[in-house]
Amino acid sequence: MDYSQTLLVFAVLAPGVVFAVLALGWLAGWIPSERVVSRITSLAFSASVFALAVVFWRLAATGTPAVILTFGNWFTVQNYHFPLVLLADRLSLPFLGMTVVLAGLIGQFSATYLHRERGFLRFFLLLHLFAFGSLLAFAAGSFDLLVAGWEMVGITSVLLIAFFHQRTAPVENGLRVFAVYRACDIGLLVGVFALHNWSGTATFAGGLPLLTGSRTSLLCLLLLLAAAGKAAQVPFSGWLPRAMEGPTPSSAIFYGAISIHAGAYLLLRAQPMLAQTRLASAMVIAIGVITAIHGTMSGRASADAKTSLAYASLTQVGVVFVEIGLGWKTIAIAHILGHATVRTLQFLRAPSMLHDYHKMHSAIGGELSPTGKHLEELFSDRVQLWLYRWSLDRGHLDTILDRFVIHPLMRLSKLFASLDGLGLEGPQSRREAAVSGPSAAGQGDV
Amino acid sequence: MAGDAVTLTAVAIGVPWAGSILVAVDRKHSRTIGFVAALASVAASVFLLRAAPVRDSLNEALMVLFSCLTLGATLVIPRRDCTSGTIGGILFLLGSTLLAYSANDLRVLLSAWILSTVPFFPEKWFRARTWRPRLGLLLSSAALALAVAVIAAHGHAMAIGGLKGRNPGGMSVFGLLVLAVIFRKGICPAHAWVADAADGGPTIPTALLLNGHFGAMLVAKLIVPLFPNTARDMFPLLSYLALATALYVAIRALTENSPRRLLAFLALSQSACILAGLESRTAEGITGALVHWFVVAASTMGLFGVLRLLEVRFGEQLTASRYLGLAEHAPRLAVFFIVFGLALVGLPGTLSFCSQDLLIHGTLESHPQTGLLLPIATAMNAVSIFRLFARLFLGKRRTGFTVMADALPRERWILAVGVLFVVFGGLFPNAIVAPRAAEAKLVEQAIYLPADGGSVCKSPAEPCLKQDPLRNAPAGELTRIRTFRCLLPGR
Repeated sequence: MDYSQTLLVFAVLAPGVVFAVLALGWLAGWIPSERVVSRITSLAFSASVFALAVVFWRLAATGTPAVILTFGNWFTVQNYHFPLVLLADRLSLPFLGMTVVLAGLIGQFSATYLHRERGFLRFFLLLHLFAFGSLLAFAAGSFDLLVAGWEMVGITSVLLIAFFHQRTAPVENGLRVFAVYRACDIGLLVGVFALHNWSGTATFAGGLPLLTGSRTSLLCLLLLLAAAGKAAQVPFSGWLPRAMEGPTPSSAIFYGAISIHAGAYLLLRAQPMLAQTRLASAMVIAIGVITAIHGTMSGRASADAKTSLAYASLTQVGVVFVEIGLGWKTIAIAHILGHATVRTLQFLRAPSMLHDYHKMHSAIGGELSPTGKHLEELFSDRVQLWLYRWSLDRGHLDTILDRFVIHPLMRLSKLFASLDGLGLEGPQSRREAAVSGPSAAGQGDV
Repeated sequence: MAGDAVTLTAVAIGVPWAGSILVAVDRKHSRTIGFVAALASVAASVFLLRAAPVRDSLNEALMVLFSCLTLGATLVIPRRDCTSGTIGGILFLLGSTLLAYSANDLRVLLSAWILSTVPFFPEKWFRARTWRPRLGLLLSSAALALAVAVIAAHGHAMAIGGLKGRNPGGMSVFGLLVLAVIFRKGICPAHAWVADAADGGPTIPTALLLNGHFGAMLVAKLIVPLFPNTARDMFPLLSYLALATALYVAIRALTENSPRRLLAFLALSQSACILAGLESRTAEGITGALVHWFVVAASTMGLFGVLRLLEVRFGEQLTASRYLGLAEHAPRLAVFFIVFGLALVGLPGTLSFCSQDLLIHGTLESHPQTGLLLPIATAMNAVSIFRLFARLFLGKRRTGFTVMADALPRERWILAVGVLFVVFGGLFPNAIVAPRAAEAKLVEQAIYLPADGGSVCKSPAEPCLKQDPLRNAPAGELTRIRTFRCLLPGR
């Protein structure tokens, strides 16, 4: 293992190790002070940035296309194996760099932003776990390992949405996001299975395998399902405004920067396959265009700053999807990096938005004209009104999901419940009463 | 060497049984007696496992697993439940379950099967408030007893080893054994007793009963080795039932508000996946099923344990119909719950991520259409477990409680051991996957390669793969061969 490989491993593992140390320490009764937590965080991310900078310099200096590190197989069963391969190439390195830089900045920002907040340690634990999951997903040399990082990002995302758990709305919204993530992840799981079954490997460190046309299309569509879910593309966009319930720094890093672009990364990784199939490419473009339009319209009708920013993010990611569908890989990567950086700044400034507005207003010495108004004026009043209602209900996407998926499923579940309870006294009713007070038992019974 | 194995098996089984009698005499030291007896059983099982050949150590591994679960139960069980009756029942269940795992004779297996249900019938032990659990257990025992009787009536020997590949009793016995699996495992439409047992009976002993996984044990120990030909043809039916159960119960759990019933549904849905994996007839699927067996057992024991600890602290009327905010009072229990819960449904970094990965590959390979139900059911279970976690632990902090203790050191350490098992198992899965892969090969060969080297293969259309030069062909190739063979005339 040469030093660039060692540094790559270090950069990926550092947040995971910090998470493990802090979590195990807490379980054992250690509650570190805010200062200790923020210093450990700064140290870990600074070291990771340095490590990745050296890897980048090494690649640039030697002209090596990629750093590949194979640890063998995580587990093997006859012909099936789960390869542990880390890969830093021209696609993953920008994402890795973006993750450690922005996560480090968010860590710094949050040390002040969440000062004396209950759950300070919990936030940092989840931030480290998220960073580890993201780095694992971006540095994965196979789709198998990518799934592991991908799922970790999903879980931490949901737990951070429900961060202010004393209120029920964030928790309910977290549950909704979790359900959408899990449903869409089925595409990734089945896609990885299909890749294993058809080509015998899901490793992309040595290039993606060549498949027949129909298989490539099916595989790309499965990956598109997963990517669309993670990137909140239409028809899964409904979860994005719900995710704004989390603390602002987590919204910034998840939905302004990293998590929202993970879907695009997946498609970029699968781009060689995507380029072979017009059907899947067309689907990617169509979804991107529809999402961009949906995002810009819903964003204009949003009443709060974070939701507007979330929809602005969505619009840009829709455009990135179009670029990927058209095969403009380099433009897509540049677009993602620029967008992530700017959007993170905007999210972090969101709590001070009014202050910023007034400052800009007085600096310009007059009125700030509202942007985008000229577009609305292209339509008649009636159409404007209809579009406004459509945008205000965020494209009716949640309504459609509720009516055609969630409610039927719940009705089915209740039907099953009634079948189960047929002719019985219903033991469930005994437990329906909520907790009404202290346990009848004393502490001695515990 | 064989004598040592017999002695160790006797210790593993006999000490818990002796302990169950001893606690009736010395009621003051129930927990200590239970702990020591379970510890002796763990030690004996570990020695047995170390002595067992790598390729054939499933029974011994299961003995270690179940005795460890019981050891954990004796520690985590709250003081309120720690009566001589409960500890005695748990030890009796441990002895019976280990007897079933180690049985090599049909009569012994039947006795162990029946004995393991005994604690769930008397009022003073673990009897549930509703009749369905008793009926389910009774019907499963009756089906197995009838199967053994028919085998005996056909004049076969009772040693399981001697019956391998001989199809004793034909389709009727096969059907009875499958019925026994369906009733004991709670496969649809006989699933309702599992939730009733969890809801109306003592939590931790019921979790132990469910985690004996006698249904899966019967499949691996009896059905597949004894009926390779029938299993090859008829087994998919059981697999479809198992997958349907996994999905049905996952949907059912979405609106369930009783935490105990909800956990029982999740445990049932995930353990139905074990059957589906065992039937997949692929190395990945069978290995995944065997690993998942360990995961489900450890996770559901942890979940039921945490739930019981919450019940003794905050009252038995816990409900998932609204937010209870218990994380403020018991943050460590909340962490244990979410880790065990997510470990049950395939959280990366836990052992279930590997087992789910293998299960999904195995079932999709053997049943591309119905296999898709498995990830769908797992996704729904993940939503249900997160919903239960949210309702129990999140939400506004409840007032009116006196200060309640979070996990006590005794509980904390044993739950931490459980968490470490699922997490380290996930980080270094080969320690658990590799032995299971070797055992899976045996199960797979039992279907495709009868023990007598091919004498039961009835026609050229069913050549034994041992004699087949393509035995070592890649998985995809082998699947195509199997598919081709199914299409041959005479099948």
